[in-house]
Amino acid sequence: MGETTVVGRRYSLLRERLSHDIERFRKFAAVLIKNRLAFAGIAIIVLFSVISFGAPLLVGPYPTQLQRTDDNLPPSSAHWLGTDWEGFDLLTLLVYGGQISLIIGFSASIVAMVLGTAVGVFGGFYGGITDLILARMTDFFLVIPWLPFVLVLVIILTPSLPTIILAIAIVSWPSTARVIRSQVLTVKERQFIERSRAIGARPGFIVRKHIIPNVMPLVWAEAVLTVSNSVFTEAFLSFFGLGASGPDVIKSWGVLVNESYVHLALVQGHWWYFGPPGLFITVVVLGFAMLGYGLEEIMNPALKRR
Amino acid sequence: MNFRRYLLRKTVYVIITIFFIASLNFLLFQVIAGDPTYVLLPRGCGTSNVTGECPLRAALIHEWALDQPLIVRFATYLRNVFSGNLGTSITYQTGVPVATIIAPRLWTTLILVGVATATTMWLGIILGRISGWRRGRPADVIITLSTLFGYSMPSFWVSLLLIFSLSVTIRIFPVYWDFGAYARMDLLSTVLDYMWHLILPVATFVITNVAWFSLTLRNSLTDVLPEDYMITARAKGLSQGQQLRWHALPNARLPLVTASALYFGWVVSGAIVIEIVFTIQGLGQLTWEATTAFDFPLLSGIFLIATIGVVVANAMADVLYMFLDPRVREA
Repeated sequence: MGETTVVGRRYSLLRERLSHDIERFRKFAAVLIKNRLAFAGIAIIVLFSVISFGAPLLVGPYPTQLQRTDDNLPPSSAHWLGTDWEGFDLLTLLVYGGQISLIIGFSASIVAMVLGTAVGVFGGFYGGITDLILARMTDFFLVIPWLPFVLVLVIILTPSLPTIILAIAIVSWPSTARVIRSQVLTVKERQFIERSRAIGARPGFIVRKHIIPNVMPLVWAEAVLTVSNSVFTEAFLSFFGLGASGPDVIKSWGVLVNESYVHLALVQGHWWYFGPPGLFITVVVLGFAMLGYGLEEIMNPALKRR
Repeated sequence: MNFRRYLLRKTVYVIITIFFIASLNFLLFQVIAGDPTYVLLPRGCGTSNVTGECPLRAALIHEWALDQPLIVRFATYLRNVFSGNLGTSITYQTGVPVATIIAPRLWTTLILVGVATATTMWLGIILGRISGWRRGRPADVIITLSTLFGYSMPSFWVSLLLIFSLSVTIRIFPVYWDFGAYARMDLLSTVLDYMWHLILPVATFVITNVAWFSLTLRNSLTDVLPEDYMITARAKGLSQGQQLRWHALPNARLPLVTASALYFGWVVSGAIVIEIVFTIQGLGQLTWEATTAFDFPLLSGIFLIATIGVVVANAMADVLYMFLDPRVREA
């Protein structure tokens, strides 16, 4: 009898906790939707994610060698965007291409966030010589032109999906580290940090319980902006012929533009080959950037004046 | 701070940064890339003499101390690089010093980047002024949205679109960088022909990068306009143009210089891709050729030069900032 009440109480506690989270999320969603920039960004991201990852339902399975037809066909009712140099249907390739671009964008962003947040929090919180070295290192990597750097990294590590993700992350972490560091510097001076230090909290505890939760919203905004940059960088790498490739690998949008260029679609006037993938890259990059700026605006209302 | 002391400090900073860039370069190409005798040396000497004694290989092993321990290799590398020896090409032009290959290409890229930056800055200031002054009005919304859209477009794609529409479909501009194909031309026509070939690449630059300047100026104008001295300027009856020219712009100009510092890194990246699509024989085209030929010494040299270029340009922008801001200059 007593046991059931404990279970019941625990259950109600869980439900209370959950409903609290749901309520918080609902409030956040309401603010998010009210911000026009963020809302447009979310709409774009959701649309392209659904198209890319719903590709099997939209255009059927990824084409195999058996499904090749004549190469370089112009748009027709059978092939809305014509066919590529191997004779694959370009619309199918285009719809699938987003998967690779988005996967690389998200994964690189996650790795860059972990790196950048760690460096930013560590340097900002501990200060002193640690901070000096980390901040100088951040500045140093920030100044290196990103395209030559990422090219050299990928070609040295030999191009494949994991190395491309790693290379993009190595190029993108410094800007996050800088933003997070300056946020940590202001959070660190707040009163509750001093109080918790006064009652004997250790630095590790303060970082975990107070610093990280307080910089997390900014990390999310930075993460979204980094996805935008990563998709962009991946497109450049692919255009250089350093994209993830192979007979079984899905071609990203950047790879499609690269192939169109290498196979002279430009001088032949085949705009349907290089036009749509480039447009998709642009719109997705813009979508993530809009959501990122929107989130920054929500978190820092002073920006809104701008 | 004394201006001369500032200059000295900046110079020391640049030299230290260049040292670290060289170290990073060493780390990338001689440590992470794997066996340097495989990565940095030509594969045999021509087709007939693959296994036999190879003078170029032996010379390069000696020159870069590739048979020595890591620390000796690092010292040798630094000594070579700082005395101007950037390496020897192994596949692209086997046996030719990298510096000799890069030097003529550097000029083409510098001209392209210089003209493009000047144009982008000029247009960015015009657009930024309009949208900063008319914040929230249709003109501002249109300018902000279109420059942001341009900023999101990959430059290779913009190049393709421009060539497709204005060189292939409507034949106004040249498709290839065939400048100098007509040998007998006087100076004026040479310059005109050069500019003719530059228009589309520069247009690509402007479209993809103008947001840097227009948005920065817009935001800093937004900060400046509510200031008290702007109200005074209006109160004493200055026209809008005078308010803008005499009071708003001089104060809003500074963040522009800061923006241009970060801009150089982007410019180098943009130039590489634009040169490829427009077949301009510059550093970017060379990067593409070095990448496809797996010429690691050449790639390493290009990376070094491009990065040092950006660092130096940044330092120059900092000094300019110091020079332009009286508060910093006289403090």
